[in-house]
Amino acid sequence: MADSARDVGTVGREALAYADTLHNLAHYLTGNEPDAQDLVQETYARALRALHQFTPGTNLKAWLCRILRNTFFSEYRRRRGSPVVGGLDTIDPVHDAADRELDALRKVVAQELEAALMSLAEDARTVILLDLEGLTEVEVAEVMGCAVGTVKSRLSRARAALRRRLGEDAH
Amino acid sequence: MNCVDVRDVVLAHQRGALALGEDAAVREHLAGCAACTRVEQAERALSEVLEQRLPQHPASVGLKRQLAAQWPATVTPRQSWRRLAAPALVAAAVVLAVTPLLHQRFVVAPAQRDALVTEAVNDHVRVLLSERPIDAESSDIHQVKPWFGGRLDFAPAVAFGGDAEFPLRGGSVGYFLDRKAAVFLYSRRRHAISLFVVRAEGLQWPAGRLETSSRGYTLIVWRAGELGYVLVSDVESGELKTLAAKVMGEPA
Repeated sequence: MADSARDVGTVGREALAYADTLHNLAHYLTGNEPDAQDLVQETYARALRALHQFTPGTNLKAWLCRILRNTFFSEYRRRRGSPVVGGLDTIDPVHDAADRELDALRKVVAQELEAALMSLAEDARTVILLDLEGLTEVEVAEVMGCAVGTVKSRLSRARAALRRRLGEDAH
Repeated sequence: MNCVDVRDVVLAHQRGALALGEDAAVREHLAGCAACTRVEQAERALSEVLEQRLPQHPASVGLKRQLAAQWPATVTPRQSWRRLAAPALVAAAVVLAVTPLLHQRFVVAPAQRDALVTEAVNDHVRVLLSERPIDAESSDIHQVKPWFGGRLDFAPAVAFGGDAEFPLRGGSVGYFLDRKAAVFLYSRRRHAISLFVVRAEGLQWPAGRLETSSRGYTLIVWRAGELGYVLVSDVESGELKTLAAKVMGEPA
């Protein structure tokens, strides 16, 4: 547990180094800059209050991502009344339009990619972004509060959904 | 392995995360299945576009300053205040004395270094996305370095002209924060490696060599005299260190 003054200073400096990662995740969760900034600030405030619960030696980035996502659920989505978008369970991971998807992927530009990602359900967006951040399946599972095996299938379905969305957008 | 099995593990296969036997089975299946090969190609392409083209939204410098200000250098641990009173008074006196230094060292300096790292990654991504990432295309350092003459207000001191491991692809002029940069492009297999060389004055450089990572990229940052150097790539950190040593002229 990080309960000494020295630990707090050390963890604080390390935590601040993840501001870009957290802000990027917040942006893709909230979809706008003001809410993303609020979410990041609230995340750091909560992390500071809960610092005695952090175990040194574990992944601080994953811990902060979990706080951010929980804060998003408890505060922002409730406040905004945002519905849960889409539903991963309806997506077929074995989608046989790979040629079209591949063609679309080769041409996709940044804005189209961002729009396609934003159109996915929250858990699909999150699992793709956390994977992109280099978190392990175990760490992603901790952030998302699910089993490790679930991460693998969620990631597979989320990526398939994103490929399919990009393939659809190309037509 | 059938198609469903292979598509479940195709990402792990691409990342080298499968056991040897399972990996061999995937390869064998892919060799004989055109449909799964297309899926494998699409997954690879998706990884590339996510890593290289997905817009990143880093925190602004203003937000980072606010966060640094709201996170104290120390907080009171959960212990009796009586036990802490005496040392706390001493600590308070010390903190008052050294706060400006700590603020510079732990708040301002790290924030500036974060900005430097963010800029380097952004610039590297811009290089990757550019239709013409190389203005002076040559593997000969003695053609690339003179090309910068008249285009920069400094001479980029880079002696390493590439080798079989890290061939030089060329150079171009870029912008790094508020100044011009000499951009040398090396490669390692299919990975691009950017070396930014800038005037060091006015930027927060690490005391020694800083090795860090950001958004999936590895960076090595150092200062040598009046120039600052930043290497950025998605290659393994060990490989980037090898290149850094060559650029710095360290013995192998």
